[in-house]
Amino acid sequence: MLEAQNLHKSFSAHQVLKGVSISVNPGEIQVLIGLNGCGKTTLQRILTGILDPDQGTVSIGSVDITGLPPEDRRIGYVPQHTALFKHLSVRENILYPLQNGRGSEETFHKIVKLLSLEPYLDWKPHKLSGGYRARAALARALVSAPRVMLLDEPITEVDRAKKEYILPLFRDVLLQLHIPVLYITHDPWEAGQIGTSFSVMKDGVVNRIDSPEEAFALIREQARSNGE
Amino acid sequence: MRKVSIWEVLFVPLFFLLIVYPILAIIGNVTIEGMIKTFDDPIFWDSVKNTLITAFFAALLGVLMALGFGYFYIFHPGTIIYKIADFMNDLPIALPHTVAGLALLLAFGRNMFGFIGPTGLAFTLIAVVLAMFFVSYPLAARTIASAAEEIDKEQISVARTLGDTPPKAYRRVVIPLLGEAIFSGFVLSFSRSISEFAAVIMFGGNVPGMTQVLASYVFTKVEEGEVSMAVTASAFCILLSLMLVIVLRLRGRLHARSAESA
Repeated sequence: MLEAQNLHKSFSAHQVLKGVSISVNPGEIQVLIGLNGCGKTTLQRILTGILDPDQGTVSIGSVDITGLPPEDRRIGYVPQHTALFKHLSVRENILYPLQNGRGSEETFHKIVKLLSLEPYLDWKPHKLSGGYRARAALARALVSAPRVMLLDEPITEVDRAKKEYILPLFRDVLLQLHIPVLYITHDPWEAGQIGTSFSVMKDGVVNRIDSPEEAFALIREQARSNGE
Repeated sequence: MRKVSIWEVLFVPLFFLLIVYPILAIIGNVTIEGMIKTFDDPIFWDSVKNTLITAFFAALLGVLMALGFGYFYIFHPGTIIYKIADFMNDLPIALPHTVAGLALLLAFGRNMFGFIGPTGLAFTLIAVVLAMFFVSYPLAARTIASAAEEIDKEQISVARTLGDTPPKAYRRVVIPLLGEAIFSGFVLSFSRSISEFAAVIMFGGNVPGMTQVLASYVFTKVEEGEVSMAVTASAFCILLSLMLVIVLRLRGRLHARSAESA
């Protein structure tokens, strides 16, 4: 289980996280929905270990990982703009974690097949479409044998028609892993396509909700009060 | 009729008078006799060899140090070490290079490094390399830092989540992406090094055949009244500098073209 307890984070006088608690079980794809700028990325950076919280803990299973650097957390991370390594081919990108003793050639072949990436393995990332870049970034994270997956708006660059095809594919692949998956997005429709559970981030805290439509109503209300 | 701007009126004549004309004055004063005397002088070729070798090692050291600075820039920008290094980068630019040479002489000369030899490191080729490095390193550091600023930091974050420690992520992700900046930093440092005179002469000396470089060879020939030889050596320097500028420009164009096609 991925668990964050009472996370606080401020930048100068601006308090971004005001006691965020979240828990995700193995086999669950929890979608965290929130408006842009609500602190989702700060939360993601704290969970991956890029940023330290001012207060609070992060744990995987029963192990407290709050003080661990990103390389020791074993969190598979897919960022917003995929961040594929430009100087490496798709194959080299996906095999990247193997040099750190993570994953195996066998997993590589399995995941590449699942995500239909075989024809593009020798391409450089910039030649791929947005959808295939997202697939390659997901494959790279999956090959690293993660204990938890964290996806931060991974298909922003993909158009709606392709999202309708990619999201069920991502959902199937992620559910097969049977590990906790936290999927961050600002789009309630996208949340409904991939999630098995939902939470919403608003005013620096996270609350569980029953459906993405509920998040949509909350976000609309917040956007209106922000004058957007 | 188009109105001519004051900047056009000022820039064009002043540019030709103050930049192009002095260069042409050197080229125009090259004589066959001066060329024969200079190219027959083994000391000239020693100074060319010294210049190229020491500038190469100074630029190499400059790029390695600049990569170290880039590491701090990316992974430890809030540390006091980074802030001091960042501040000090601008110092050699503002400092008179005679002062830089004297500083090196006091730091690595016989007072502190007398155990190495009677003059410490002073008046050796190592001293020439260190003097060139001192004045050219900031160029390499600035080039690497500005290129590092352009790198998508998420790539580094992802590399860390895939198991890379910061030094490993720097080696596997950042350095390959800095390839163009490393090349430019090296060429800029090399160019700055071959043109250095004051710091080199203060710390490395001007021993013909030993620590004399092209810049100090020109100075010596003027002092000796061998103006035709000084002019030939100067024209040789201009040619060398032009070649470096051309290499830098061609490389820049190739890079821009490959970035466009990407």
